[in-house]
Amino acid sequence: MHLAQQQHTFEPKIFAFVCTWCTYAGADLAGTSRMQYPSNVRVLKFPCTGRIDPVFILKAFQQGADGVLVSGCHPGDCHYIAGNFHARRRFAVFRKLLEFVGVDLNRLQFSWVSAAEGGKWVEVVTDLTEKVRNMGPMTEFKELAMEEQWSGAINTPELKEAYNAI
Amino acid sequence: MTSTLIETSIYAAISESIQAEAKRILSDGQVSTIVGYAAARRKGSAQPIVITDASDAQKLIFTPACVNNLAVYLTKAKKDIPKKGKIGIVVKGCDMKALTGLMGESQLKREELYLIGVPCAGVLASTFAPSQELTDESLAPKCTECDAHLPTGCDFVPTETPLTPELEKKYAVEIARLEALTPAERWAYWKEQFAKCIKCYACRQVCPFCFCEQCLCDRNKPQMVETTPRPAGNTAWHIVRAMHLAGRCAGCAECERVCPMDIPLNLLNRKMAKELKELYDHEAGFEVTEKGPLTMFNEKDDQSFIK
Amino acid sequence: MQKYISRQNFTKLLDQLIATGTRVVAPRMNAGTPLYEPLASSAEMVMDQLPRRSAKEAYFPVCEDIMTYEKEGQKVSITDIDPARFPETVLVGVRPCDACAIPVLDAVFSWDYKDEFFLERRRKTTIVGLACTTSDDACFCTAVGLSPADTKGSDLFLTPLEGGGYVCETFSDKGEALINDHTSLFNEPNNATPLPLAQPYTEKFDLKKVKVWLDEHFEDSSWDEIALRCVGCGACAFVCPACHCFDIVDEGTEKAGKRRKNWDACGFWKFTHHASGHNPRDQQPKRYRNRIMHKFKYYDDKFGQTLCTGCGRCIRVCPVGIDIAQIVEEISKK
Repeated sequence: MHLAQQQHTFEPKIFAFVCTWCTYAGADLAGTSRMQYPSNVRVLKFPCTGRIDPVFILKAFQQGADGVLVSGCHPGDCHYIAGNFHARRRFAVFRKLLEFVGVDLNRLQFSWVSAAEGGKWVEVVTDLTEKVRNMGPMTEFKELAMEEQWSGAINTPELKEAYNAI
Repeated sequence: MTSTLIETSIYAAISESIQAEAKRILSDGQVSTIVGYAAARRKGSAQPIVITDASDAQKLIFTPACVNNLAVYLTKAKKDIPKKGKIGIVVKGCDMKALTGLMGESQLKREELYLIGVPCAGVLASTFAPSQELTDESLAPKCTECDAHLPTGCDFVPTETPLTPELEKKYAVEIARLEALTPAERWAYWKEQFAKCIKCYACRQVCPFCFCEQCLCDRNKPQMVETTPRPAGNTAWHIVRAMHLAGRCAGCAECERVCPMDIPLNLLNRKMAKELKELYDHEAGFEVTEKGPLTMFNEKDDQSFIK
Repeated sequence: MQKYISRQNFTKLLDQLIATGTRVVAPRMNAGTPLYEPLASSAEMVMDQLPRRSAKEAYFPVCEDIMTYEKEGQKVSITDIDPARFPETVLVGVRPCDACAIPVLDAVFSWDYKDEFFLERRRKTTIVGLACTTSDDACFCTAVGLSPADTKGSDLFLTPLEGGGYVCETFSDKGEALINDHTSLFNEPNNATPLPLAQPYTEKFDLKKVKVWLDEHFEDSSWDEIALRCVGCGACAFVCPACHCFDIVDEGTEKAGKRRKNWDACGFWKFTHHASGHNPRDQQPKRYRNRIMHKFKYYDDKFGQTLCTGCGRCIRVCPVGIDIAQIVEEISKK
């Protein structure tokens, strides 16, 4: 598995926003069961998917994520009864907004993974990683972060080089 | 292409009715204050005015330059107008939708307001000088999609009926055009638009629904959105703004009208409204509801996008 | 020095400057909005529209980095931005209302503290002014004592002539250098008639009287009346050629980031918000009063100049139609 990974020229950064009760426990189960999944994913634990503000997703892309996964309890299983129902609506709308602004939705995945679904966690993470790997790096937000208003720009060849290297 | 005149001759009679009604309710003490429009210095221009004296009622007018949504003067963060007694306010149909939303969000109480509705054929676009005639070209884009020429639920509405020709719906056409593009092309379009932003926050300040005492985007601990007016921070700001208005914005298009850099902000809001209509059959501004579409849920909501 | 340049040669001049790597900033259309921006070619230039933002951003950017930091473990390394890296710029087609604001701003940026960022950009910028031939009823430069052909602040000033072409008059070494470096494009002045100048209709304000009233009326009920409608955005300050407040922010992560200088505006609620939570300008009328006071009193007290050039931009962009010309006129009649 590790050898196979080293052969790739591009390793995407995947941020996973997960709820502590289901998906985090599911990921933990995958680990304790010695299942293998790509190490590209960085897990961020939240009390509930209802706590995951769309701004976090935006921020993740701005901070260099190539793909983002949001995962929580199955409908009806929420530890706080309805957090995931609220989240479902919010993300249904937010992904439409991102799509309209020009973000490729293939980089953003939502899933329900319960504490018993270590296998599903592995599958979701592997699928997203492969999909994003094939798409290549997410350049839009990184390019944006390098850009200045013309008035504040200065003559810096190094910066230009860094920009072209993206 | 020749432009078609929009009939606004009824505005004079409407102005007179507003004045008479304002005079009546101020002098018999029904309201303490009225928020309306008055003529300003530039030819044809108008600006918001707050009057408390019946003798000032004659200052009130309604013209194609009465573009503002006065509801903003009633919301929390911007409310510096006198608070004693009922407040009278002059509202167009689109402004009425904002008031409806604000009542639903417990920002206003209907019984504290006296609503003077305006039958409206349309107002001027921000890109035209206030002295311009109202035509299908100089008409504000929102007015091409208006479904509330006659406001409903008001305490007083002048009897005139506006003539409203069927026009091409400008936002619907533009949204369809953008939707047909590839994500990369849309990104390029918005990138160019957002790059012009200078973070003057006029869009936020005139929005009746941006009533937070402290905006998320003004906070720096933690800093969720870069405050600097550079492309990255601007894009984040406009995405967050559109998201926070989703399901609440009723389309008064004030954000777009006031943008000194002409960024088509209402496109984002209309797109969100369209999605909410498709997903949850929700349209903002028609009735006072305790909960908006994003503060409630249905167990059977679509989840085809979730694995 | 006075010279003549034909319209053709003028575009050639710009293209030559661009070709030699000089940044040429002039009014151009950006996604439907006229703005002062760097040109890729002279064809982009739009001469007949007043740019929505003033020319101040050429030497007072919307936002600029002043240093960058990087942190590794306990070690923090700081890199200052070197003003030597600011590009040489020729600012073309600057309206008198924009150009006249430049010497006014020089005063505040070179007063007790010499702002190297502002001053270095100023040193590297050659300003080519352009007489105004069109105006609207928001323009009021004549009311504050300037004119559509005011040459203050310009290194080289263009007066458009009938049938195209311009009379060029120099007012500094930088202006002369621009002509001397491209002598073949300039001719001796001929006797073509200049185009009629714009005529902003407002009468001249008695600014002395305005100041006297402001001196005595810090507390006055009319401020509430004037500014009750103000919604507290920064549009007026950001399009103004003379407003120059800025905010310094650190942005980045704990590992690396930048210290930036951004435009700020006194209309914002946060402008005077203290860390303690107290806000001395807690209501919008107090904030708007500061805008008027700063322009027509404080700046005059300190530097003997008025911080308004009558471009009328704030009148055009104000979301609620606040009209500074009307306000000042009313004060002058009090």
